[in-house]
Amino acid sequence: MASWEGEVISTLGKSCDRTSWSTSSGRDTENGCASSWDGPASSSWSTVTAFDFLLVFIMGSSSRQGIRAGRGEQRAQRNSMKAWLNGLAEFFNSVTGGSSLIPTYRVLDGGGNVIPGAELPQIDKAFAHRLYENMQLLPTLDTVLYNVQRQGKISFYYGEEATIIGSAAALEMDDEILGQYREMGVLLWRGFAIDDVMAQCFGNEEDGSGKGRQMPVHFGSPKHHFHTISSPLATQIPQAAGVGYALKRTPDRRSRSIAACYFGEGAASEGDFHAGLMLASTIPSPTLFIARNNGFAISTPSTEQYNGDGIASRGPGYGIDTVRVDGNDVLAVLAAIREARKRCLEQGRAVLVEAMSYRVSHHSTSDDSFAYRPRTEVEDRKKVDNPIMRFRLFMESQGWWNADAETELKARLKEDVMKAFKRAETLKRAELSELFTDVYGGEQPWHLKEQRAELAGLLRKYGSTYEPWRKELAKFKNNGRDLLD
Amino acid sequence: MYQAVRDAMSIALAKDDSAVVFGEDVAFGGVFRCTMFGRERVFNTPLTEQGIVGFGVGLALMGHTAIAEIQFADYIFPAFDQLVNEAAKIRYRSGGTYNVGGLTIRTPTMSVGHGGLYHSQSPEGFFMGASGLKVVIPRSPIQAKGLLLGSIRDPNPVIFMEPKILYRSAGLFAVEQVPVDDYELPLGQAEILVPGADLTLLTWGTPVYHSKVELIDLRSILPWDVETVAESVNRTGRLVIVHEAGMTAGVGAEISAEIQKRCFLKLNAPIKRVTGWE
Repeated sequence: MASWEGEVISTLGKSCDRTSWSTSSGRDTENGCASSWDGPASSSWSTVTAFDFLLVFIMGSSSRQGIRAGRGEQRAQRNSMKAWLNGLAEFFNSVTGGSSLIPTYRVLDGGGNVIPGAELPQIDKAFAHRLYENMQLLPTLDTVLYNVQRQGKISFYYGEEATIIGSAAALEMDDEILGQYREMGVLLWRGFAIDDVMAQCFGNEEDGSGKGRQMPVHFGSPKHHFHTISSPLATQIPQAAGVGYALKRTPDRRSRSIAACYFGEGAASEGDFHAGLMLASTIPSPTLFIARNNGFAISTPSTEQYNGDGIASRGPGYGIDTVRVDGNDVLAVLAAIREARKRCLEQGRAVLVEAMSYRVSHHSTSDDSFAYRPRTEVEDRKKVDNPIMRFRLFMESQGWWNADAETELKARLKEDVMKAFKRAETLKRAELSELFTDVYGGEQPWHLKEQRAELAGLLRKYGSTYEPWRKELAKFKNNGRDLLD
Repeated sequence: MYQAVRDAMSIALAKDDSAVVFGEDVAFGGVFRCTMFGRERVFNTPLTEQGIVGFGVGLALMGHTAIAEIQFADYIFPAFDQLVNEAAKIRYRSGGTYNVGGLTIRTPTMSVGHGGLYHSQSPEGFFMGASGLKVVIPRSPIQAKGLLLGSIRDPNPVIFMEPKILYRSAGLFAVEQVPVDDYELPLGQAEILVPGADLTLLTWGTPVYHSKVELIDLRSILPWDVETVAESVNRTGRLVIVHEAGMTAGVGAEISAEIQKRCFLKLNAPIKRVTGWE
């Protein structure tokens, strides 16, 4: 089971077979399953029977403590003796070698049954309903916004239900979130309204995330402790280390709040990923890194993104406690993030969670992923490993859900979304003068004042007479008149 | 000048509990070692410029005061994305709901004569196009202390570039009695050091010490003080801009374009740039 120099501990459940998740270049596991990654529709996927319901954290800290105590040097000396005795060859891949892969923690199987021996995280009916409603809200929004995009109205949106909602539910409401693109569900969990979502996606006058300045899904809300998303990938990762450190230095949040940072496995190829984990490790802070490994960065499969064992294998290299979890199993995500959060606070140190899922949607709505993967593969995966279906089956088995409730929920969510959508469509853009605000705090520098005055001059001259401008100005609140004042 | 810089940081740390100072090797030596502030507030980072700036952005997002050091301005480029796409734009992209005004990046700049290719550059021009940032270059100890405290307390992220030849210089350069008090100098304002009638010489940093005409120390690169410069050139009719960085698309090019627009009828000669070779 352990692949990390004996420094593996378990916190939940009992020992069981290894999982057969393969994250990289199609290495087989001892179960003889082909890589479930490259061919999710293959028999290996549907016949997976060996699960690991053990919540296994690879310890980042014990090797570090060993080095502090001088044991690292002793070990190195013993190792060099061993090299002399046994030859160099066995020292290659002594840590990463063989076919051993980091196991994946699961609670539910593909049919929504609790895996024998697995420990259910503490949830009740009301909490389960809340999880499920939020999970269902994501594809409802997705469908509406997707269709809008196909009409050319907004740019893109996508979601990963179990990873996002499961983790959101495990965090406290005021843990600081630094997200990438797919974490809208965390905001929804915290009470960000569907109207707020629509306002940002349409960039209308009610967009409190960014006054219509950013592309869709770039949400942000200090009230919900959700830092504004930016397009450049991975920049949030070193920032999260700084946010975590600030929390540690804030008396009323120390030991109470963490920074939670989301990113995809593609973003983990950026230098900022390595910088961020290294900083959170060497300058300890309660920072939780949540890697969403969905197998694709736009069109590039993860096999072309890295050749090691996913993202989780990097955690121990930075001395960070690490766990891999089934990202399509909401209860496994919930349990893993709860435990990870607890470790962050107790140890005051960073933790890395890698959530494995398969992106059934396109990268964005401006992308057609059937060009680089077969439609049948996606359809099969939707049926076999649909995170919503898995959880629904579990809820039904508990007597918490039925077909009537399903019909009612879907109709209600669709109505809510359509209502917000129609409302957002009619609203105007923010005032045109906002183009020049928020560049600097304090007094606006001369060059921006002059540029604002230049636009105002052009509007005075042509704004009411030049037809294309007149039409464009009508889209803004106050028709651009605020610039003329 | 290094003492003035340390003095400014000491004041910032003493008066603001949220302030921290960090960067490569900052905990080594100097007045901060094992002194009153402790390793929680003055600490080393691993060798990662993008990480240092990103970490500072995170602290500043939480309203804390982050004083980061990039060991040499020549090595600021790995942090370019964090500075230009993140620090500079966070206020704008969040509609004013988030900002990183508490972030100050200190970095030694310009040449000392024995630094070779990668310890001599003047990269201020690369940041002049990144509105949302401020870029400041002091010329002397008194200026360094006041401008650094001004930068730390400015509600915007500031890149504070310290001409490194001035750190320990005596004689020709910058020996001054620096006030021990807490004081700030304004950002975005140039200063006429030597009034004159026939020529305006505009520069900043080390080259300030090599001139004898109406001499202006620009002090801030972004935003730059167009008013002072234009007023001077309207009087003198001639402008020479001196900077250590290369000529092509340098700060001098930007200033020339703006000044010829504003002072066209008063200019007695084309604006001349005296710059480093590329």
